[in-house]
Amino acid sequence: MKIDDLEQMDSEDLRGLTSNERRKFLKMGLAVTGLYLGGTVLSLTSVKNAGAAGVVPEDGQYPYSPHYSMVIRERLCIDCERCKNACVKTNHVPAYGFRTTILEKRRSLGGGKHETIFMPVLCNHCNRPPCVRVCPTTATYKDEKTGIVVMNPPRCIGCKTCMTACPYNARYFKEETRAVDKCDFCFNSRLSKGESTTACVEACPADVRVFGDLADNKSRVYQLVHAPETMVWVLRPETGAVPNVFYINS
Amino acid sequence: MKKILLLLVFGVFLLSSGMLLADNEGMEEEYDEDIYGPEEPIVWVKPVESVVFEHKVHTMGAELDCESCHDDLFAMEAGAAEENEDFTMATLYEGGYCGACHDGSSAFASNTRCTTCHIGVRGHMRLIGGDGDEGDKH
Repeated sequence: MKIDDLEQMDSEDLRGLTSNERRKFLKMGLAVTGLYLGGTVLSLTSVKNAGAAGVVPEDGQYPYSPHYSMVIRERLCIDCERCKNACVKTNHVPAYGFRTTILEKRRSLGGGKHETIFMPVLCNHCNRPPCVRVCPTTATYKDEKTGIVVMNPPRCIGCKTCMTACPYNARYFKEETRAVDKCDFCFNSRLSKGESTTACVEACPADVRVFGDLADNKSRVYQLVHAPETMVWVLRPETGAVPNVFYINS
Repeated sequence: MKKILLLLVFGVFLLSSGMLLADNEGMEEEYDEDIYGPEEPIVWVKPVESVVFEHKVHTMGAELDCESCHDDLFAMEAGAAEENEDFTMATLYEGGYCGACHDGSSAFASNTRCTTCHIGVRGHMRLIGGDGDEGDKH
């Protein structure tokens, strides 16, 4: 189109809009917004789906058997990092990555004093794992029996999308295998060889980490998570990933 | 007139600096290692990494004498306690070592407020000027 032709055309700026047309457009916008707002604000969508029911699953509603999970008694962690070292040794984790680590936060006690809180973190083996959802080659998947989020390294193309998707920063790219590596609750290194617990749990001197089958009501994890008068929380519940690592303070 | 003004300004300057100095002296008592023990914090790495002890907090702060702990609870020799087999939390709960005071009545109990003394690997790194996040780089 030439510049002369362009000048001949009707203007498309706001001056050409009739007030009726504006109203129509606004109405449409309001209707669309209202639809979405109504769904969440006025709870026209089911409350159950909103995940406000709490982080602890209802008794008997565990999708896996054994439903492996970990309870972290956060207050007791002293950052001795024996868990980290045991994990490195057991699972051959290189120095630039980690399968589990300890984070640190500070809480004011008033009067200029602070308290340190150490927070062990690892893969949360989510019931709805964002990493599995984004993997283009199904190199990472949820084990059908145990619910452990596992890696199949030969399938991994190293796109690192799962690393971006993970809400817990629990994945790293392992150069030795040219694949993403992550915690598998020691499935390959220990559980599949008859051991009953992970290396980090075994190494912890303060009994911070407790590992077990959440579907078994005699297991310690079950009893801790379902104990009365206990505050149980998970990390980043808002992502809707339904994690299986629970934090308590007792 | 100018001279008087100059003198006045100088005088005020002297006075305020004097007050500042006096303030500092009043606020912070000089730490004397002969009275209060070594100023450097002690960090134990056995049996678990890493536990801190500061003479300053206990002697200058809590006004304990050297005899309160030496030589009954702790040998004067640096790192001696660490070598003992019984330098564990279990001994503390029975009133040994730190547990002599940290029993819940004289000072907070040994089985509470873990991270007050257990500064961990991260805390230790920070104390010696290293990077506490070393292990997490990727």
